[in-house]
Amino acid sequence: MGLLCSRNSRYAEADTEENAQAAEIERRIEQERKAEKHIQKLLLLGTGESGKSTIFKQIKLLFQTGFDEEELKSCISVIHANIYQTIKYAKPEKGEFAQNELDSSKYVLSVENKVIGEKLSEIGSRLDCPCLNRELAQEIETLWKGSAFQEDVLYARVRTTGVVEIQFSPVGENKKSEVYRLFDVGGQRNERRKWIHLFEDVTAVIFCAAISEYDQTLFEDEQKNQMVETKELFDWVLKQPCFEKTSFMLFLNKFDIFETKVLKVPLNVCEWFKDYQPVSTGKQEIEHAYEFVKKIFEELYFQSTTPDRVDRVFKIYRTNALDQKLVKKTFKLVDESLRRRNLFEAGLL
Amino acid sequence: MSVAELKEKHAAATETVNNLRERLKQRRQQLLDTDVAGYARSQGKSPLTFGPTDLLCCRTLQGHTGKVYSLDWTPERNRIVSASQDGRLIVWNALTSQKTHAIKLPCAWVMTCAFSPAGQSVACGGLDSMCSIFNLNSQTDRDGNLPVSKTLSGHKGYVSCCQYVPDEDIHIITSSGDQTCVLWDITTGLRTSVFGGEFQSGHTADVLSVSINGSNSRMFVSGSCDATARLWDSRVASRAVRTFHGHEGDVNTVKFFPDGNRFGTGSDDGTCRLFDIRTGHQLQVYYQQHGDNEVPHVTSIAFSISGRLLFAGYSNGDCYVWDTLLAKVVLNLGSVQNSHEGRITCLGLSADGSALCTGSSDTNLKIWAFGGHRRVI
Repeated sequence: MGLLCSRNSRYAEADTEENAQAAEIERRIEQERKAEKHIQKLLLLGTGESGKSTIFKQIKLLFQTGFDEEELKSCISVIHANIYQTIKYAKPEKGEFAQNELDSSKYVLSVENKVIGEKLSEIGSRLDCPCLNRELAQEIETLWKGSAFQEDVLYARVRTTGVVEIQFSPVGENKKSEVYRLFDVGGQRNERRKWIHLFEDVTAVIFCAAISEYDQTLFEDEQKNQMVETKELFDWVLKQPCFEKTSFMLFLNKFDIFETKVLKVPLNVCEWFKDYQPVSTGKQEIEHAYEFVKKIFEELYFQSTTPDRVDRVFKIYRTNALDQKLVKKTFKLVDESLRRRNLFEAGLL
Repeated sequence: MSVAELKEKHAAATETVNNLRERLKQRRQQLLDTDVAGYARSQGKSPLTFGPTDLLCCRTLQGHTGKVYSLDWTPERNRIVSASQDGRLIVWNALTSQKTHAIKLPCAWVMTCAFSPAGQSVACGGLDSMCSIFNLNSQTDRDGNLPVSKTLSGHKGYVSCCQYVPDEDIHIITSSGDQTCVLWDITTGLRTSVFGGEFQSGHTADVLSVSINGSNSRMFVSGSCDATARLWDSRVASRAVRTFHGHEGDVNTVKFFPDGNRFGTGSDDGTCRLFDIRTGHQLQVYYQQHGDNEVPHVTSIAFSISGRLLFAGYSNGDCYVWDTLLAKVVLNLGSVQNSHEGRITCLGLSADGSALCTGSSDTNLKIWAFGGHRRVI
């Protein structure tokens, strides 16, 4: 450590092998950075009932081209590790589930499968996982089919993910087009302010607001109106320092429910919309009510945007997450806005 | 009993607890006749002479393409692992500043990283709610990436911090946004103990940081968004040994003092504090007024090897070196020559205390050493 303290010392002699290794690492990092440069990151945000997860699923169904080979390969080791981890639950004495289950006879394995189970448990308990070969894969399949706890295991797996992502290209692989990576941070019942900064360099935030919720209160807090909760969240997100230059795409969602509700339940039951006055009936009224809501959101946007941020792209879209055609059309418009923005930034517009 | 009656009972009980807490606070203040700085001054302790030439930047580690969020030194050989917004872990040789490993993570949203005691593995965690372990000696795949050796899953929220139990390569403690800390057995991948959570008394908001006692590795302290720090005995998961109140904002970082009898904290309220684990007292507050701008948050802290210095990184780019005894700032690493161009987001001291590593939003890491005649304190 003395070498570090002396100001004029040369760096400790690194041997040539170490230098070569470091150079290789740097080359790889540069390669990966170039490959990722053109990928535009999008973050889905919204309150619990906003329908953002449905939007996520729709986009996945509509556009996903699948992962490229590199990413698939990098996933393989994760999948292997997960398989070994999951299958070790086949040992009833050690598994977590058996401890909680009153009727543990459900987990008893047949004699033949017990042998396989032992072998796989042994593998699973090692720190390093061997590569998954055909023989092992077949043994795992045998055990899996004979087990009674598939549901529990599946359920456990779904619960653990914190972020889901999909990579897609809305125009199709053949044409040279934008590649997007969409993130949905789901299932986190915690403080957004502690992780929102991680998304600082996303191209755009897609904020989902369910406009049909103006007469509903939160599940967790009966005093709080869902629309007001959405308003507060939107306001908070707009003011975050990490989104100073980020484009905002506001999806006013659940329009189909809004349509029918607004004719029966007046908008002004929600305190945020208390200034609303209905003007007519039927389709005209629906449009009028929608325009009112849209304007209120616009006002909120400008109130929450400081002068140095007015250059941000801000667009509002009317959506119904269950209508696949509409989601597709909406996303194509989003894509257009973002591409225009990129050209503008590059000084080409 | 009806829901309304239950709510009333709950409100009454909460009020009682708050009153008791207030009385405890007042009683403590009566017992505390002075703080560390007051006592040190009365004993005639002289302030440290510490200037810009006493701590020099001797290495700049470049290579990350995004902000550096976390770093950790090996306990022995001088290597550092760092985690960045670019979704990578990089392992560095601190002496030669060469990279020995670069790991592209399956989930790019990483918030923390740690080196195993033997230096063979690194762990990381983040928004994926999992803690992933990588064995540095395993074969890299065709693209040069290390495969995940183990995934520790079970948390229901982001993993904010992780630390291996000293001298035990197979045990690691994580803190999470799901309000719990967990002690894991890496070989089985299972949770050995869960500290806090639904049916146990623990933190009531996201847990942001953990620090294990270097002198007694059964004890660890955690800091949380509930503005408290809690001391735990790893053998007793059901309740915390003690809860430390005092901060007025999220406790972002906690670190044990070198002798293991005290620990430091850093918070959104702009202060660092020193607490004593035996008496539960708050010994000192470290805070410097800035004028009426927004109070900057303390994001990370570290103690020098004797504990005489407290390094603290702030959200506005400052990195104060505090004289812990006299509660005075002796240097601002954020504004010396050759300092980072961005905020300092994380910092850590080498095992022998002779070097400090800082990570920044400018994507670099810097290593600082005590210069010239200055002996290591």
